[in-house]
Parts: sequence; C-alpha cells; structure tokens
Amino acid sequence: MQTLDLHFMWEAFFIALSGAPITLLITVVALLISIPVGFFFSLIRLNGTPILDQLCRIYISFVRGTPLIIQIFLIYNVMPILLERFLRSTHSTLSVFDVNPIWYAFVVFSLYTIAILTEVFRSALKTVQKSQLEAAHSVGLSTCAAYRRIIIPQALVTALPNLCNATTNLIKNTSLCYALSLREITLRAKVAANPGYNYIEAYIDIFLVYLLICSLVEYGFKKYEKKLKAYQCLSA
Amino acid sequence: MLEVREIRKAFGNQEVLSGISFSIEKGDVAVILGPSGSGKTTLLRCLEFFEQADSGEVLFDDIDVDLRNVTKEQIKAIRQKTAFVFQNYNLFNNKTALENVLEGLVIGRKIPKKEAEAIAKEALDKVGLSDKYAYYPSQLSGGQQQRVGIARAIALSPEIIFFDEPTSALDPELIGEVLATMKKIAKEGTTMLVVTHEMSFAQDVANKIIFMDGGSIVEEGTPRQIFTEPKEERTRQFLKRMLPEYTYYI
Repeated sequence: MQTLDLHFMWEAFFIALSGAPITLLITVVALLISIPVGFFFSLIRLNGTPILDQLCRIYISFVRGTPLIIQIFLIYNVMPILLERFLRSTHSTLSVFDVNPIWYAFVVFSLYTIAILTEVFRSALKTVQKSQLEAAHSVGLSTCAAYRRIIIPQALVTALPNLCNATTNLIKNTSLCYALSLREITLRAKVAANPGYNYIEAYIDIFLVYLLICSLVEYGFKKYEKKLKAYQCLSA
Repeated sequence: MLEVREIRKAFGNQEVLSGISFSIEKGDVAVILGPSGSGKTTLLRCLEFFEQADSGEVLFDDIDVDLRNVTKEQIKAIRQKTAFVFQNYNLFNNKTALENVLEGLVIGRKIPKKEAEAIAKEALDKVGLSDKYAYYPSQLSGGQQQRVGIARAIALSPEIIFFDEPTSALDPELIGEVLATMKKIAKEGTTMLVVTHEMSFAQDVANKIIFMDGGSIVEEGTPRQIFTEPKEERTRQFLKRMLPEYTYYI
C-alpha cells in the first residue's frame, strides 16, 4: 500500500508557501481598490439617483451571477485584444505579451470584490440609524464629517464580520489564478507534484497553507472587531 | 429673533403643515401643544432642515431664508445658531458622554480642544452628570442619555434650542430629572422652543403656548390665557383631555 511521502510533503509545503506573497499581493491590491470604490458604490446605491443605482445593481448581479473562473477567462482573453488595439493606436513600443498576467488578476479580483463589498457596505450603513446623521448635522457637522466620525465607525462594526468573510473568500479564490499561469500557492504545489505524481501530498499542503493564512486573517479581524466594539460591550 | 412665516409642508398629498406663522423673542420659552399628528414635530424638523419644507420663510436675526430655495450656506448658518434635543436622544453611540458634547464644539464650531473640553465638562456638570464623562450611551439610563443630549445642545451656546418631545421616550420615573434640567436652563434665560405633552412644564415654565391642530396654529398666548380661558373650542377639548378636570383627594 502506498503511503504519504512525508519528505516530499514537508518540502512541498514550503514551495506552496513561497507562493503566498503573490496570493497576498493580489488580495491586498484587490482590497485597496475595492474598499474605496465599493464604499462609493454603496453610497450611490443608498443615496444616488435611480439610474446610477440601477447601473450598480446590474453590475453587481453580473459579477455575482457568473462563475469567477469564467470572469477570469473572459478578462484574460478579451483584455489583451483591447489592450493591443490601444497600444497600436498610441504607437507604443510595448507589446501585449510583455504584460505580466498578474495585472489581469488585479483587474478580475478588483471587479469581483467591488461588487461583494458594495453590498457589504450598503447593508452595514443601513444598520446605522438616519437619526445619527441628523444629530451630527444639528451640532454643526458637515455630512462628510458626520460620515467620517460618526456613521462609518458604527457601520464598520457591523461590516467587519462580512468584510472578514469577503477577505478570506478572496484569498481562497486567488487559487483560480492557476488559470492565468500565475505562480501562486496552488500552481507552485501542483507543479512540484507533477514529477512524482504526489498530488495528494501537494493538495494537503495547499490546504494547510490556505488554512494557515485564512486563520491568521480571521484572528486579526476578530481582534480588530473586539477593539471597535468596545463601546457596545460595556455595560453599566 | 426667530420669525416663521407661512411654512407649508406636505408628504405626498397629505398636507402636514398648512401655513404656520409665529415668532419667538430672545429669552422666550415657547411650548407647542397639540394632539398627535398635528404637525408639531414636522414643524421643528423643518426649522432644523431635517425636512425640506415646501414653502414659507424663516427669519433668524439677520438671516432671511426662503424655504422654496434654501442654500447649503443658509442651512449651515441657521444650524450654527440652533441646537436640537431629540425624542430618542440620538447620542453618538460610538462616543462617550464627554465626546458627544465635544464633537459639536471641536468639529462643528472649531473651538480648540482644551477650551472645548472645559466647556463640555461644564455643560455635563450643569445637567448633573459630572461622574459620567467616560460612559458610553449604552451604559447610561434613558434619563441620563437625554441629559447628555441637553448638555450637547447647551454647550454650543445656541441662540435657541429646539426640544422635540424630549421626555416621550422615557420611563415615567425618569421624566422628572429631564424636566428639572430643562427648567433649570430655561431659568438661565435660554431661548427654547419645546414640543411636549408635559402639561406641568407648559404651565410652570413656558411664557408662550402655541396650540396646533391639523397642521395649523389654532391659538397662541400666555399659559394663563391658554389654560384658564382658551378662546377656541378645539383648545378647550384638548386641554380637557390632557388635564383632569377634577382631582380627588382621599
């Protein structure tokens, strides 16, 4: 009977782990882009004109209603064509083939996460009563200051569990980047498994690496949530 | 000081305010009485621009606002002169009592932090909460929260404070402490416009009563006029319901 090749597993674990920077880079870039944009979209959905709201809704249902892997394939195949046209029209010396596929990953995962976070922020902002804004106005705060100092800190407390969820989902979803032949966690481990057919070991390693990363992220969010929630948990 | 002319406001086809006019002088404690749904709260909310009135005019000292086309600057200018005490307190949930009072001073009025802190503490002391500076709203009783709400308003030294049914959300045993606080600041000469169902406050503290019904002012006068010799039948009926005609002492 075959047994697990523990030696390979040990080595492949670090090979998989060496892909973590790319996974994390995609995650961080996607979050940095989609947090402000998603917040802006959620404001449009809550206070914007009906037409803009409708456009946001269509965008969100497109993103949520289609498999991520198809979005990746689409962007990966369509973007180079568009990019090439653009480059040709600007007489650039750059070639489409020089573009690192990680840029496509940034685009896909940002577009995807914007849609998710728009809904996360929208529901969180809705939990803060409108009267908090009125109270802020009554003491002379501008709407902008009221959002910054009163409404967002309260909404963030409700948004955090969903934000954590979205972040861990994003981290896990970056495993689909193997389709872009990006050398992130999944692809590296799989490639390492190829010569000896040690796929089970490799998959277990991948499993463990994602588990490790996501657990750390969850822990961080829990800590932050506890800190933000301080004003609710106290009782007289 | 504050003059209101022909304010009109409708929600859909339902007219809530059908041409309200009155004026308030400096130092006045005016109480608006009236049955539920008579438009009292909507009137206050229109004056603080939480609701946009359909038409009318507000004259506040030298600011003249046509409610048909209000500018952001006018709203800001009027809010700088007013403060609002809410029925449901509406304290900032993520801020302590002291921070609640500080917020308007430091961010709204741009007063330096140190100076603002002294003003805020003085305001909280005045409402009897000198031991609750660091408490969050969730740690305070309803009456205490409303007193922080009052401190938040008086700290700004506004020209006028609007009170929107400040005791309606409170347990009966907590109403007293809030009314006493309001009475205290009224005695200090604060100009107040109060919507309330507390007849005792209207009788003892106010110098002007405005009786509203069905979106218009039915009659106004001093408490003495309104409570002892109301001219209008609607006022009489309302008071009869609110004030027990006979009191039995057993």
